[in-house]
Amino acid sequence: MALSSLLDRRLVIVTGKGGVGKSTVAASLALRASRAGKRVLVCETNVFERIAPLLGAPPSGSTAREVRQGLFTVDVTPSAAMREYGVMVLRWKTLYDAVFENRLMRYFLGAVPGLAELVILGKVLHEVKVLDEGAPRWDMVILDAPATGHAVQLLRVPAALIDTVPAGPLRHDAEWMQAILVDPVRTGLVIVTLPEEMPVNEAIDLDAQVRDLLHIPRTALVVNAMPTSRFTPAEREALAPWESAPPPLGPAVRAATLQAHHAENAQRDLARARAAIDLPTLVLPLLALPIWGPEAVERLAAELGRTADRAGAAA
Amino acid sequence: MSAAGALREALGSRRIVVCVGAGGVGKTTVAAAIALDRAACGGRALVCTIDPARRLANALGLSALGNVESRVPDQAFAEAGVRRRGELFAMMLDVKRTWDDLVTRHAPDPARRDRILRNRLYRQMSSALAGSQEYMAMEKVYELATDRDYDLIVLDTPPTAHALDFLEAPDRILDFVGNDAARRLLGPALGAGRFGLRLAQLGGGFMARTLARFTGQGVLEDLGEFLTNFQGMYEGFKARAGAVRALLSRPEVGFVLVASPSQVAIDEALSFHERLRVESMPVAGLVVNRVTPDLWEGPAPLPTAADLEGLLATTGIDGPGLALRLAETLAEHQAIATAERAALERLFLEVPVPRSVVPRLESDVHDLAGLARMAERI
Repeated sequence: MALSSLLDRRLVIVTGKGGVGKSTVAASLALRASRAGKRVLVCETNVFERIAPLLGAPPSGSTAREVRQGLFTVDVTPSAAMREYGVMVLRWKTLYDAVFENRLMRYFLGAVPGLAELVILGKVLHEVKVLDEGAPRWDMVILDAPATGHAVQLLRVPAALIDTVPAGPLRHDAEWMQAILVDPVRTGLVIVTLPEEMPVNEAIDLDAQVRDLLHIPRTALVVNAMPTSRFTPAEREALAPWESAPPPLGPAVRAATLQAHHAENAQRDLARARAAIDLPTLVLPLLALPIWGPEAVERLAAELGRTADRAGAAA
Repeated sequence: MSAAGALREALGSRRIVVCVGAGGVGKTTVAAAIALDRAACGGRALVCTIDPARRLANALGLSALGNVESRVPDQAFAEAGVRRRGELFAMMLDVKRTWDDLVTRHAPDPARRDRILRNRLYRQMSSALAGSQEYMAMEKVYELATDRDYDLIVLDTPPTAHALDFLEAPDRILDFVGNDAARRLLGPALGAGRFGLRLAQLGGGFMARTLARFTGQGVLEDLGEFLTNFQGMYEGFKARAGAVRALLSRPEVGFVLVASPSQVAIDEALSFHERLRVESMPVAGLVVNRVTPDLWEGPAPLPTAADLEGLLATTGIDGPGLALRLAETLAEHQAIATAERAALERLFLEVPVPRSVVPRLESDVHDLAGLARMAERI
């Protein structure tokens, strides 16, 4: 349910608190969509490029590269985006070079508030609307957005410019960008969180900001790394006195206690997130993998399919 | 861990501690625990956070955190059963307010101050500009360090998109405020000391004309007004930013790297460390939070379900497949603990500073007592 409506969007924005697995979720979603036959571009704005390595490929850099069949990734940096945008506006590369490659000018442009964010977002949204021979270049563009505070800053730039900048080219660009961002047909925003105290609090705040400040259509809440309840309360109670038993029983019981405690807290935080955020929720399991790489992405992509099936069956 | 005592000792001589690290590693909690520890030892300590962490306010027994310092009430300590000889204060940084205070301090007269506070570019910069938070965090610490008599100020830094932001933001924003390139481009307008000038009057050079095509003319007019008003204030801003920077490299200041055992957090900590080293900023210690405890030390192989089956029989505990579930749970736990240890070895090797390791769950802090337990660890 939540997944199929996500897969219909042309632009999917993935955000959440730092460290909750945004990039992994974005990569899994991209893999799922490309396997469904879509041509997908994942845009990230990370300084350390993460998406291509998560998919087992070398970093793509600032030019879109195909890392799996039908799945492209690109790392959008302010300088590359500025150049692309400048050339587009001035329609003439030599003019761009004459003006924008000028040291004085670069220095100046680097300092205009919001301009770096605007060109980054402009590059991503340009990919959403660009046509190649009459057809959209991408079936789906996924933006692996920065963590909460920076994501709100980034996504707010067009609206802020519409409020503050008088009519002109800058404002015109801000207007078409904002139109895509708030379009409920084309765009969907996904909030990723962990079933933990602070990430859930931040997800609740972020949800409110997206709804009330950004007005970007929210599509799903993804709760990542959900542990399963492996031990019944009766078992936990019976096991508790043996925590300090000698190995191997003691350590095994201790691991069970920690796991059960973790699962119990996670259930509580999941319930809290569900109660506070009125979005379809996709719950992804905690994977017992020491390293986040292609295997984790494959497994989460498979889980995304299963979660969607379950949600579909329940509906 | 003996290194933990070393961290406490390393922090003991500091007046300012800046906690840096990736988002989601528990920086705010670590910052509060460091301040609490100093208060427990008889100092006057302040924790200044950027995170609107209501939980922290609750944990400290405060109803909310504001842009001014609140003293953590004695009652909160008593209820938590935490003994302390000194005082603990907490505050939350309000970025916009701190900017406004800074402008008010440097503006030559109220009319100029009001023109700046009303300027559209200024409003955008003070509330939404990336790096603005970081700049103001440093500014606030300087103000607190020079105007107040705390024994220790602990700053919890914003979760920066990148380590560089933190140290570069002040320069980037100062460059904007006192931008020579812009001054040269918009020079005639600045000389006129008026705003709302048509671009045609700005000299109409090739650069300015092209720029207008890029941004629109109105933006340049706003910018002209902004720069006109900031003219003369730039030196004050710059001197102060220089003082902030000088303060940060003094020996009474210590940066504490906060990390978790995740790859992203470790990479970020390494990158912070390198950056601080290059800038000659003093790194006082490293706190690794949320570490999975090692439950199976030594070379013996992990128990199989059959091993545990026999032992469970002697305890009389029974459950469907319980022995297998126990064996798998321990094996998974150890796989993660081992991977974390390997990742952390690399961090410890490259960042040879006093450190402390806080196990998962113990870092799950809900109240003052929990903070005190963490302080104990650190």
